[in-house]
Amino acid sequence: MSQDIENQLRRALRPVDPSAGFAERVMRALPESTPRAAPVVALRSAARPNLWRRLSTPAALAASLVVAVLLGQQAGRQQVEREQRAGLAARAELLQALRITSKKLDLAYQAVNRPAPAPPPAEENPS
Amino acid sequence: MKFESAHVDTDSLLRRACGGDASAFADIVRRHQATVFSIGYRMLGRRDAAEDLAQDVFLQLYRKLDSIESIEHLGFWLRRVAANLAIDRLRRVPYSTTYPLDDAALGADAEPGVPDTSEDHLMTRALAKLLGELAPAPRAVMVLRYQEDRDVAEIAAALDMPVNTVKSHIKRSLTALRALMIGARLEIS
Repeated sequence: MSQDIENQLRRALRPVDPSAGFAERVMRALPESTPRAAPVVALRSAARPNLWRRLSTPAALAASLVVAVLLGQQAGRQQVEREQRAGLAARAELLQALRITSKKLDLAYQAVNRPAPAPPPAEENPS
Repeated sequence: MKFESAHVDTDSLLRRACGGDASAFADIVRRHQATVFSIGYRMLGRRDAAEDLAQDVFLQLYRKLDSIESIEHLGFWLRRVAANLAIDRLRRVPYSTTYPLDDAALGADAEPGVPDTSEDHLMTRALAKLLGELAPAPRAVMVLRYQEDRDVAEIAAALDMPVNTVKSHIKRSLTALRALMIGARLEIS
């Protein structure tokens, strides 16, 4: 009975062909370019990107470091220039203030040293 | 000797297909299309669904050609991918409940146009139909065992199952089918 049903199963499950043109439809559905089993030449040429990939990270880090140093130096120079300009402006303000103060002092000095005006003549007593 | 020469031919086809020869790949498709299509057809029960599945299997093969080591590996790989893809699709859409097997899937008549009403033929058709009642995993086990004539160890490897689970699926499925067959035989008689 077991053998019987197994044989019947084999008969029931005979392979079936797909409709005509199936292989052609599969070929039309294939992608245009697909990574193939890499031939030796392709493997050799693939070594370059690997080397570049290995070096690219340290190179990028070094370049970033150089750019950071240059930017830092530039910022430092600008800071010094700003401080110099601010110092010059402060000095000019101080000189201006001194000039003003000096003028005021001159005026005050002149005022102090000006001879006192003569007193008005006393009025005669009519009596 | 004949087998060896066919073997060498297929190995050379495989090498040429790996090198990008489209006609060699088309030959591989033609040689294996019945196997892949039949697994899909017995599992899903519909020609259109089975052709979709077979096409997807061959597209996957095209992308993975460089990982195929030999012609034996190619056959194993195709059966494995087809069966697992069919199980996945059955779990997502229960084809068997909505699309019963058509006449072609149930077994062709001996003479075209003349319905074969012999008991054996009717039983064979009933058996193919009853197979569609099994759950996806045991159905795949039965298809690989009785359609593809694979041994238990290979079925276990193809479906990522322990060998004992495969044996158990076969035993239980045969018991269930036998019971259903007895019922069908009673109906016929």
